[in-house]
Amino acid sequence: MATKKILLVDDSCTARLVNRMIFSHKTNYVLVSAVDGKEAVDRAKEEKPDVILMDVIMPRMTGLEACRMLKQDKETHKIPVILLTTRGEEKYVQEGYASGCSDYLTKPVNDVELLDLLKAYLGE
Amino acid sequence: MIGSGNRNRLPVEAGSRKELQNDQTWVSSGTEELRLRVQQRSLREQLERNHFLLQRLNAASARLIQSLDNGDVCEAIAEIIANLIGSEEVAIFDFSRAEHTFSLAWSWGVELSALEPFVAGAGMFGRAAHEGLSQFQERQPVGVLLPYEKNLTACITLKASREVVGVIAIFGLLPQKNGLEWVDYELLKFLETYAAVALQFQRLQGKQVAP
Repeated sequence: MATKKILLVDDSCTARLVNRMIFSHKTNYVLVSAVDGKEAVDRAKEEKPDVILMDVIMPRMTGLEACRMLKQDKETHKIPVILLTTRGEEKYVQEGYASGCSDYLTKPVNDVELLDLLKAYLGE
Repeated sequence: MIGSGNRNRLPVEAGSRKELQNDQTWVSSGTEELRLRVQQRSLREQLERNHFLLQRLNAASARLIQSLDNGDVCEAIAEIIANLIGSEEVAIFDFSRAEHTFSLAWSWGVELSALEPFVAGAGMFGRAAHEGLSQFQERQPVGVLLPYEKNLTACITLKASREVVGVIAIFGLLPQKNGLEWVDYELLKFLETYAAVALQFQRLQGKQVAP
């Protein structure tokens, strides 16, 4: 089975570090990263990841804006986007789904929850 | 009939006893296996919990070290608290032993700019200063909190040479967070020591840069 690729987008270095550790310990996913929404859109086109894990509040371009752009682009519209955010209130969740995301996880991220969700999207 | 019955019955009884013994052996080996599995699972969980904590401590430590070069120690502390603990309302206060007052040094996500330096009282800030120990709201006696401590989740002491030189105040937790968990306390213990070291480093660097 081909190794799955995940694009992790977060402006927080701490979040990128901890997610990288989770993946390296428990999976053989290839992880590529971006630090804001704008870079995420470019990286998604280059890397063609199987799933995008993306923070919402980021400089230059938010996760919501990036998600909308990815869903409008023929090259990237089929890639599932999971939003990771500190904002767990209903209105933010609704806003997330309205942008076209497939799922929504709140921070601090629970390893088991995250890996189970990824497995579900990656068909493992 | 009796004889034949006995003869007929004997093998059955012997067989039953044997089956019973087999069953008991099976049950006891099954129970033993189950016990071992439960024990194994518990040991695995212990290791997983430890690994879970170490991952977070490692990420926090790496971020603090990175902040020394970037000169953004306060931002790093806030980022660690936001991403690994779950609060976006953080402030750092300096403590003056001579005047026994706290003054705001930096804040993020909470409006405190109008807050004047205040005397360490009987509340969480005061106890952190007097006792030299981090304070947590869920462990506070009822009715001793000061007005600006109402939404305070934790007051983490920052020490230099064993003396309190400031605190990290963590106000409201994120809505999805019901309270601090064991891993949060461990992370806060880490910050208690190493955030103070990083802040001290940054202050010394500031003094060197200044003419």
